[in-house]
Amino acid sequence: MLSSSSPARTPETIHPALWLASQLARGNGRGVSSGFEALDAELPGRGWPTGVLIELLLPQDGVGELRLLRPLLAQPQRLRPGAPTGRIALLQAPHAINAPGWAAMGVPATRLLQLQADTPADACWAAEQVLRADSCQALLMWQARLRKGDHDLLRRLHVAAQAGQTLFFMLRPLACAREASPAPLRLTLRPAPGGLDIGFLKRRGPLREQSLFLPLTPSPNLQRHVSPVDRRTPATAAAGSLPSELAG
Amino acid sequence: MVFERERVAALSAAARACGIHEGMRRGGVQLLAPEAQLQERDPAREQAALEQTALALLQYTPQVSLAPQACVLLEVSASLRLFGGIRALCRKVRVSIARLGLSATLSCAVTATGAWMLARYGDVRTVRERSLRRRLDRLPVVLLSAAQAHLEWLHGLGCRQLGQLRALPRAGLQRRCGKALLDMLERAYGQAPEVHDWVVAPPVFQARVELPDRIEQTDILSAYAQALLAQLAGWLTARQLAVKQLRLWLEHERGRQAVAPTDLRIALSAPAWQEDHLYSLVKEKLARSTLPAPAIALGLAAEELERMQPASDMLFPEPGGSAEDHQRLLELLVARLGADKVRQAAPRADHRPELANRWCSVMQPAASLPAPLSTDAARLPPRPLWLLDEPVPLRVLQHKPFYRTPLELTSPPERIEAGWWEGRPSTRDYFTVRDAQHAYYWIFRQWHGGEWSDEEPQWFLHGLFG
Repeated sequence: MLSSSSPARTPETIHPALWLASQLARGNGRGVSSGFEALDAELPGRGWPTGVLIELLLPQDGVGELRLLRPLLAQPQRLRPGAPTGRIALLQAPHAINAPGWAAMGVPATRLLQLQADTPADACWAAEQVLRADSCQALLMWQARLRKGDHDLLRRLHVAAQAGQTLFFMLRPLACAREASPAPLRLTLRPAPGGLDIGFLKRRGPLREQSLFLPLTPSPNLQRHVSPVDRRTPATAAAGSLPSELAG
Repeated sequence: MVFERERVAALSAAARACGIHEGMRRGGVQLLAPEAQLQERDPAREQAALEQTALALLQYTPQVSLAPQACVLLEVSASLRLFGGIRALCRKVRVSIARLGLSATLSCAVTATGAWMLARYGDVRTVRERSLRRRLDRLPVVLLSAAQAHLEWLHGLGCRQLGQLRALPRAGLQRRCGKALLDMLERAYGQAPEVHDWVVAPPVFQARVELPDRIEQTDILSAYAQALLAQLAGWLTARQLAVKQLRLWLEHERGRQAVAPTDLRIALSAPAWQEDHLYSLVKEKLARSTLPAPAIALGLAAEELERMQPASDMLFPEPGGSAEDHQRLLELLVARLGADKVRQAAPRADHRPELANRWCSVMQPAASLPAPLSTDAARLPPRPLWLLDEPVPLRVLQHKPFYRTPLELTSPPERIEAGWWEGRPSTRDYFTVRDAQHAYYWIFRQWHGGEWSDEEPQWFLHGLFG
């Protein structure tokens, strides 16, 4: 039995990499804030950890995964005064990236880098190069289901991620939830009325059974656009009319 | 095993174990080791290899000269600080020579002749004049090439080491053996000045290597390409140039089924001269290309050159890599994935979303891109993050568009009516919709022939709010 004065009661005082199973880990330094207070409170390091493989598992594309990352991506981390602001590499994106949409989200198109690879092996190679160069703020990689022998690739990418400070998100289908993964943080995202349900499949901390609800709007200017119908030309805003700058 | 005038001139360790030694005749060798590979010595190729080595070593110092007996002399006193001391420099030189597919004995000393004699004796590193003298004193007289003619006489005197030779009376030695021997001895000990014929880099770089066999595997070819790149790196450093485009060609077997040489061009978005970076590009390019026939020779030429602009180092190195690192990353990705697979945004000012969203290769210079959109993004009605390449037609059930589940409109329409100036007018009403799973989509209602025609509008799915 441990006595109350035993240092094992508070292992974090011995070394920051130690924690009890009932606590959230804070060993790898502070994470990058996700922009959502409720989510930060549930993540080890109070934010998205840099330099590790983070898995986001989705039932389908477009449930709100990018809106979840919006506060993070919209805030460029300027690494040094002269250097270009944080670039975001998008690898194997499932659809064409709509640059005006990203600009509306707060990510100028000049920060985006779109990569497409023909084979999964090429995609993993490209991810590894991006992580090793460590010149991008974030890498978002879409990965379909892996075959049996390809699980070493995940481990390899996780090791590559640890060498740098890049935020590395891998977006995978929800069906991969049952497969083992070396990622220290695995979240499931499910759409919910008015937002997103986040399930904590794996994290360095206590088990959390119930999911976390985050309110998200599909577009930052949707609400403004909805009510009232059109703020700038209220008198003539009938259903079919358009503001002058949109009328081609 | 290498022959020169029917006598063994050089041999491998395995051949030595069979009892073969230098100077043996061909018949004796064939008796002892019938399976040995016998080669005739080719002085022209040896000289070429030596010149290539000298070219590659130009990246460590601008002062390189060739010496007899397959020696390359480098004057490194000015390079020591740049490359981090004599040990680090020797290590780098050794790596460079290994990349050329050669091995070398490295020695260094304060005099070139001294270093040359030490190198022929073995790996010796001296940086002080006193230790050089001590070591030279113990070297055999044979190494002094000017003493070759008088070797028997010297041995008869019991004079076998340089130290003993130096102890002999100078005047008598000069009378008997001539001035050349004394001159060389003095140069080795640093008592007389040395004159060198420095190697000058050729004005144009073009290198070629014959492969030992017909080779199909691109990874083996890239090892040979590395030898060419080592020479290129030396040449670029000597001429203070950086390369923008490389041409690598593979020659195939001549004969009945003659195949034209395969040309591979490697374009760089920013001029580079770093050997490792160029090698990774060449490696990826070779790995991606398929050969029509086995290659028998490999050539490399630098096509577009610019002045070298070395980056200035930061006093405090920063994490996250520099802009040059990012540029190198892009080139590497382009080399493997292809230029059309690594893209940057080049949005166009157009109201039609599929035309406004345009992407081009990162190899396009930033100056040729259109200016970023001036419209304030926040004032536009909602735009999705994903755009489908082809709009997906939607069914209509109970007056509602249907995509997997019925779609609920959540925004007023946004009319986009454009394209009339191109003869392809289109009238679309865009809506943000939500499906039963609470995922958001961007759909449009297409009016055929204008809003007031009798035709029913058709619904399409065009984007996803990620």
